Amino acid sequence: MAQPKKGGKPAPTKPAPKGGGGGTAPAPKGGDSGEIELGDDNTPAKPAGGGTGGGSGSAAGGGDAGEIEIDPDKPATNDLATDLNAADAAATQVKAGEVKKTPLSWKDILVVVRKPFLKVRRTELTPMFGTTMNDNMVKHVTLGGELAYYLTDVLAVGVEGQYYAHTFGEPFDLVARQARRLPTVNEYKWSAALDFHYVPVYGKFAIFDKKLITWEVFFTAGIGAGQSEVIPRDTKFPGFTNLLIMPNIGASMRFFITKWFTVNLGMRDYVFYDHFEPPNRSVTMNASAADAKSNADGALINNLMFQLSVSFWLPTSFEYTTFR
Amino acid sequence: MKTTTLLVACLGLGALVASTHDASAEGRRYNDLRKDKAVRHRRLLVKNRFELAPLFESTMNADFRHIIGGGVKIEYHLSDMLSFGVVGVASTAINTKLVDRISPTLPTADTGASPEPTQAQFLDRLNTMPFHGAAYVSLTPWYGKLAAFSQAYVAFDFYFQVGVAFAQLKSNCDASVCTDDTQGKGKPVVGMDGTTSFVPDNNPKNDTPLNSGGRAGLYLGGGIHVFLNDFLALDLTVRDYAFSDNPSGADFNADGFVGKNSNPDIGTDDRFINHLFFGMGLSIMFPTTVVRTP
Repeated sequence: MAQPKKGGKPAPTKPAPKGGGGGTAPAPKGGDSGEIELGDDNTPAKPAGGGTGGGSGSAAGGGDAGEIEIDPDKPATNDLATDLNAADAAATQVKAGEVKKTPLSWKDILVVVRKPFLKVRRTELTPMFGTTMNDNMVKHVTLGGELAYYLTDVLAVGVEGQYYAHTFGEPFDLVARQARRLPTVNEYKWSAALDFHYVPVYGKFAIFDKKLITWEVFFTAGIGAGQSEVIPRDTKFPGFTNLLIMPNIGASMRFFITKWFTVNLGMRDYVFYDHFEPPNRSVTMNASAADAKSNADGALINNLMFQLSVSFWLPTSFEYTTFR
Repeated sequence: MKTTTLLVACLGLGALVASTHDASAEGRRYNDLRKDKAVRHRRLLVKNRFELAPLFESTMNADFRHIIGGGVKIEYHLSDMLSFGVVGVASTAINTKLVDRISPTLPTADTGASPEPTQAQFLDRLNTMPFHGAAYVSLTPWYGKLAAFSQAYVAFDFYFQVGVAFAQLKSNCDASVCTDDTQGKGKPVVGMDGTTSFVPDNNPKNDTPLNSGGRAGLYLGGGIHVFLNDFLALDLTVRDYAFSDNPSGADFNADGFVGKNSNPDIGTDDRFINHLFFGMGLSIMFPTTVVRTP
């Protein structure tokens, strides 16, 4: 895939009929190396990778290798793997060809592989699962979801919601049994947030030299609210709930599986100021929930969550706005 | 004549446009990839290379004491995917927030009747990990490249490791604090008839912690190399050193004493624990020059 560099030298002005021997270089066998051609609406779409050889000037394969084609009417496939395979095939085609220097301005043309997945103006629906990373006493698991809309290919805005369930960790029992102290802990009930996502990093990797996977890293920052509830040390006293202002930041990775399905994993830090059961509580002191809440101890909490999710993208396909 | 004049005028205009364009091109900025070939050979960043990585490591989610230290990783990459190596880390320990919250609430003197430990009994029995490490084989099934902010293009790989973990554990409970080392058997008492009997005290708070010494176990790891150039890489790893341990040095199985013995009659308070660490290092590859695929 080749793309002309902005501000690069112009292509030869001589009109080059498709399939003809355009340019100042002698045409190698079977093709028009060195041509930049604007696709004709009446011309049938070429196989993927047909223009990829342009960067090296190779014309192996007998077609119009070396051409850059603008063909907006070319039907888009809906399969990410097909696109990636086509890119691989194109690369092989270039490798096999003879490197030929031409006096044309190919030095100004970069070979740039097109991003295999576009997100701009698409909606992402994300069911997700999360678990606590940094609390040994009480561990929370969450089930939730997010709806995000990509304003550009790297910037999105979304809303998320999560429901929490908790279990106690080993230290919760150990502290009571070994140190004779009852831990003061809160459980989280739910949370919701307005999130902003930014995608600064994208890349690809090969698995066992066989399968090519594209991925990206995105950062998240958001603001939201949640609710926590005190777990009373002595069950004869009532607990109380807290409404929390809950900003969050995080970093995640997204792996592209198809054009409409991705797998995501990441870390999110939900930061909030929570209120805990006061240490001294008896029938004469802080017995009621209101009294306990008014004398509650406060602390800034970082609830670090590991999140695993899948995303469904709508519309399920996309069209490139730049040519191959 | 008219045709010839027109042709000369066009050629002149073309030359003027070309010269103007060349002049503007001199001030033009080029992408770093401009001189690269359309299809580049793959750089074999790890194959047949030694990797030496000074590193920093810290526990993740330690219950009682954070273990923080520095060490080194030495690895040889037999191929692009397979390697073997060793890692060793010397560490110090810092009390967790949990310990800092519990300790001030405990009594300073042992009254005997109360089941709660004193501050010294609680703190002195917590163990540290002055040295730990592993020998492992490593598989690197994923490699690739990424673009950061559309500016920096770097290579990376993911790897997974499995091997044998080893650790040196240490607790410092003075004999004046941990006075009972009989593991529930009790101290010998000579009766009136001259016979010796043992009276177990069933009070674990003054038992010796029995959580010092060497340990061996399972090592699992996973990480990423982010190559800064041909021979330097940022190395980020999560390592799990899993072995038998009792970090609190207290009675875990609630049998009334702290035990650790191969004798099946004595219940041990050790259990198989995952010691999770996050490590960050700078890998230096030798030789420093990189080979490309043919």
